[in-house]
Amino acid sequence: MQVKVIIGTVAFMLSMIILGLITLFEPVRMEQFAAAEVGRNVESGANIFFSNCAECHGINGKAEECYDTTGEQIGCKGRPLNSAALLCGEPSQRMSDMQWTGTKYALIHGTVNAGRPANGMPVWGQDYGGPLQFNDVANVTEFVLNYQTEELCAIQPFVFPWPGTTLSADYPDPAPEDYNVFLGMTMDNITLDEGQQVTFELPVTVPGDAERGSGLFEVTYGCQACHGNPKTGDPAASIGPSLSEIAVNGNERVPGYNASQYVYESILNPANYIVETCPNGPCANAMPNNFAERMSGSPQDLIDIMTYLLGEDIGTVALPYGVGE
Amino acid sequence: MATFFEQVREMGVKQATIAKTDEIVERMTAGMNINDIRSALRGEEARRPNPRLRPHADGFWFHIRPSFYHAEVTHIYPTFRLGWLSTFMFVWETITGIFLMVFYTPSPRAAYSDLWNIMGNVPLGQLVRNLHRFGAEMMVLVVALHMLRTFITGSYKKPRQFTWLTGMLLLCLTLILSFSGYLLPWDQLAYWAVTVAVSATSALPIPAVARTLDLLVRGGPAIGEGGLLRFYLLHVLALPLITGIFIFVHYYKVVLHGHSLPPGREAIGEDTAKRVPKNERVYFTPDIFTSEVMWTALVVLILIVGSYWFAAVPIEHHANPQITPLHVVAPWYLSWSQGWLKLAHPFIVAFVFIPGLATIFFIFPYLEVGKSRRYADRRVGLSVGMLFIAFMLVSNWMGSPKYKVRGSSDQEVAQEIMPQEGHSPILETPFEALAPGIYYPGQETENEHFNEALHEYFIAMDKFSCKLNDENSPYRPCEPWVDESGRTRYRNWFTEDAMPDPGEGVYMQISDQQETLRRIDLIFQVVDPESSDGALLYDSVSTWWRHEDSNYENY
Repeated sequence: MQVKVIIGTVAFMLSMIILGLITLFEPVRMEQFAAAEVGRNVESGANIFFSNCAECHGINGKAEECYDTTGEQIGCKGRPLNSAALLCGEPSQRMSDMQWTGTKYALIHGTVNAGRPANGMPVWGQDYGGPLQFNDVANVTEFVLNYQTEELCAIQPFVFPWPGTTLSADYPDPAPEDYNVFLGMTMDNITLDEGQQVTFELPVTVPGDAERGSGLFEVTYGCQACHGNPKTGDPAASIGPSLSEIAVNGNERVPGYNASQYVYESILNPANYIVETCPNGPCANAMPNNFAERMSGSPQDLIDIMTYLLGEDIGTVALPYGVGE
Repeated sequence: MATFFEQVREMGVKQATIAKTDEIVERMTAGMNINDIRSALRGEEARRPNPRLRPHADGFWFHIRPSFYHAEVTHIYPTFRLGWLSTFMFVWETITGIFLMVFYTPSPRAAYSDLWNIMGNVPLGQLVRNLHRFGAEMMVLVVALHMLRTFITGSYKKPRQFTWLTGMLLLCLTLILSFSGYLLPWDQLAYWAVTVAVSATSALPIPAVARTLDLLVRGGPAIGEGGLLRFYLLHVLALPLITGIFIFVHYYKVVLHGHSLPPGREAIGEDTAKRVPKNERVYFTPDIFTSEVMWTALVVLILIVGSYWFAAVPIEHHANPQITPLHVVAPWYLSWSQGWLKLAHPFIVAFVFIPGLATIFFIFPYLEVGKSRRYADRRVGLSVGMLFIAFMLVSNWMGSPKYKVRGSSDQEVAQEIMPQEGHSPILETPFEALAPGIYYPGQETENEHFNEALHEYFIAMDKFSCKLNDENSPYRPCEPWVDESGRTRYRNWFTEDAMPDPGEGVYMQISDQQETLRRIDLIFQVVDPESSDGALLYDSVSTWWRHEDSNYENY
């Protein structure tokens, strides 16, 4: 019996020592597990993203490179998700634009779950009649949020200025004297303190590369699908108006705008002016309004497309930041 | 009796307190005062009348335990402590289960994230989950062994037939208890194992009955909110309650008939368990009690060590009715049923064979009425028993994924090194080692973990591919053959349908997806040796992702 008492006591003490040791390492283990949960959700989210979302939002989430099911590159229909405007800052640029007062997670989760049918984003969550289970909606949200990195948020997104806007002094690095010639914008209310210098880095080259512009027009931004090929007429324009005469008739569309200003604004904010007749009847407000954001990563795209459509003499009237006289 | 204050006045505070404490202890133990307890613990002879017998007569906790045992049954043989251990495991499962219940909600919305919460946010949560799961498997094992022991020593024979019957019931309850808990984590493993098992109801030939039964078990057209709640209530309420009741019935019968002695110790046809000579008695207090406390401490130690170091419970992806993982398996203790399902129609297995077998087991002691419990007299019975065990082991092996319907060779290779669920050599490689680039099976890198994974890749490829024309191929030779449809296929040492000369067409590509996320593609592009224009015989990509923090290497 004594042996039994000793064995029992030793076993009990060993159990307690082991439990104590386990408890000692518990905080580290718990942290690892909590991180692993997020990590595995992101992995599952990636799986959902590539089978459902990449076709419109791009394989890098930047809405730059999209492929259809046969592997053919097509124009991206979605907004960029791997984007500082969506992910950086609290609230981020897009949250302020939408006047969203909830969390970033809720914005993305809600958008995936219920869709934005007016903008072409389908309903995905089963809660709203879509195909994805609730946890997959959450996982894909975590995947999108995982695009946020310090590197991404260090880049200041480029925001295209509008014709006729009065710019404030903190607008990204302008050289004030050049503003007056940029798309008719005024610099009236900017006063610099004495000795203050504003340096200006050229974000674009004017005129742009028409050949690159044609590639962007046909594939990357998918303009050709609706507007047809403006040079050859093949394919012909279908949903949107033909652009083969745009260098001329662009001057007449909006009073006070020349063709460059008109094209510039029509790409960035298509709803501002809607052409009356399209090949299939009266034009509708059908053009995606996400180009400003998609081009914010590479403003040169806009200049290249303008050069492709209008020819090389866009420079004198549509000089972004007034360079290249 | 004098009140405490009167005693104080009489004896002083100290003596009065001692007397009062003694009185309270005696009342609580239903008969033993402090001195009696101390003398029992010191192993001294009991005074007369023996106060150590009174708790068995008057106390609640001991009244179901015999006050003494036959010395013959207190050794490891013949009981191996398996019956006691079964009860212990039931109590153990109840306690760990209650801890888990605190953090668990039986709803498809919450269950899986609750599980992650238990693992990542509850101190010792993972340990308790492992203890519960490991304990459940041990309980199945212990109960099965207990039954085997009872069979071998012939203890099921008269007068203990009914004890055997309740024991059979408890075995069934243990299996159902264990299996009903299988669904609760609500991961792919849980969902599909249970879905497959429950789908046996659809094998019933009468549609109305099948439908009703199916609906009853699943709680809806598919296992969902209703089904999970049903399994939960079964697992935490109904089954433990029934099991608890039958444990008491079983125990009562054990006490009533006494533990059967080793078969050789008594004359044939005699049962002397209850007639214990004075000199062969081992009293419950203190000997058996001490022994049980010792075993409790030992088993707790074994369970903690086992579940912490050797039995980490996996956690798979969230249950998804739309994605069936390749090779769904039943838990090992039910693997035999899956083996049978591969041999016969589900109706035969689930509604004829298993119930038939169970019935035979239940009433077996009433059929096998041979008087002798001695091994020499039961050669046929024991042989049949051993054959049955062999049959169960083979069935179990047939139910395992080793014996399965194979997918295509490229799928099988992907399944072996990067399956959708479960052990995955590639994902278990540390994140840093999975540097972007292209890797071939068996390639050497700077990281030994990754080398192991690539070696497994090679082993898998060696099973499912072969050398045809390529002199440099490291794989074993192909033997072309033509199947019924006239297609040429390639047999190797392992499979009928291997990939001929995979060469550089089979590789793994790792690329950066996000800063903390890498994409892993297993690419299979094997040229058809029969075709002149280089058409592909195998052309597929298996993709998964690996996040920096996913920590597959540890869990």
